[in-house]
Amino acid sequence: MAELTLGVFPSLVGSMSLDFAFKLAEAAMAKGHKVNMWLSGNAVMMAKKGQKAFKDYSHLEKKMKELIAKGMEITVCEACAEARGYHKEDVPEGMKRASMDWYLAKTVKTDRLLHIGGE
Amino acid sequence: MKLAVFLSDWRRTEDSLERLKADKMGIILVENGVYHAVVKEGGKESPVLAKAGATFYALADDVETRGFTAANVSSKVKLVSYGDIADLIMNDYEKTAWL
Repeated sequence: MAELTLGVFPSLVGSMSLDFAFKLAEAAMAKGHKVNMWLSGNAVMMAKKGQKAFKDYSHLEKKMKELIAKGMEITVCEACAEARGYHKEDVPEGMKRASMDWYLAKTVKTDRLLHIGGE
Repeated sequence: MKLAVFLSDWRRTEDSLERLKADKMGIILVENGVYHAVVKEGGKESPVLAKAGATFYALADDVETRGFTAANVSSKVKLVSYGDIADLIMNDYEKTAWL
């Protein structure tokens, strides 16, 4: 088993990259790999609890919870979150917020890194 | 270095690609990047597919989502699944880039 870290910056609504990141994470975990995800920039908003699942919008809350239950680690950039009015009490169960140091440490330690840039 | 380059958009990225050098390079077309595998302009394939020495892959789900089939895909490009991409990242390439 190896470790894959995904750094994801695009927003959930208006981009396909978060969908891609979660499907790739699921596939890597199915092959026995450990997967970490860093949500930064506009991507942080996908991890704010209490969002409505519109029919025509991507909504990854269910998938996110499933993967967390299987051991995926998801961390949100706290500065990016605060800048968007997303506070500590808005973090869904099983996730955490951290400073950029968390991501930096993962990039050094992880076996593979895929950094998906934002808009 | 073994480098996997992800192209996620249908835009002219040849300049960036030309500057990338690696001992082994895989170009993985995902999202709207899969158009590079199927669209011909003026009868010519995308310049992306002209990257010398590279191996090309396209995510089958994203090709099919856009109404294309394997028959539409350039013979230079191998269709892959999410699981295949996980294997490429973990087993075949050491570094990744997202363009």
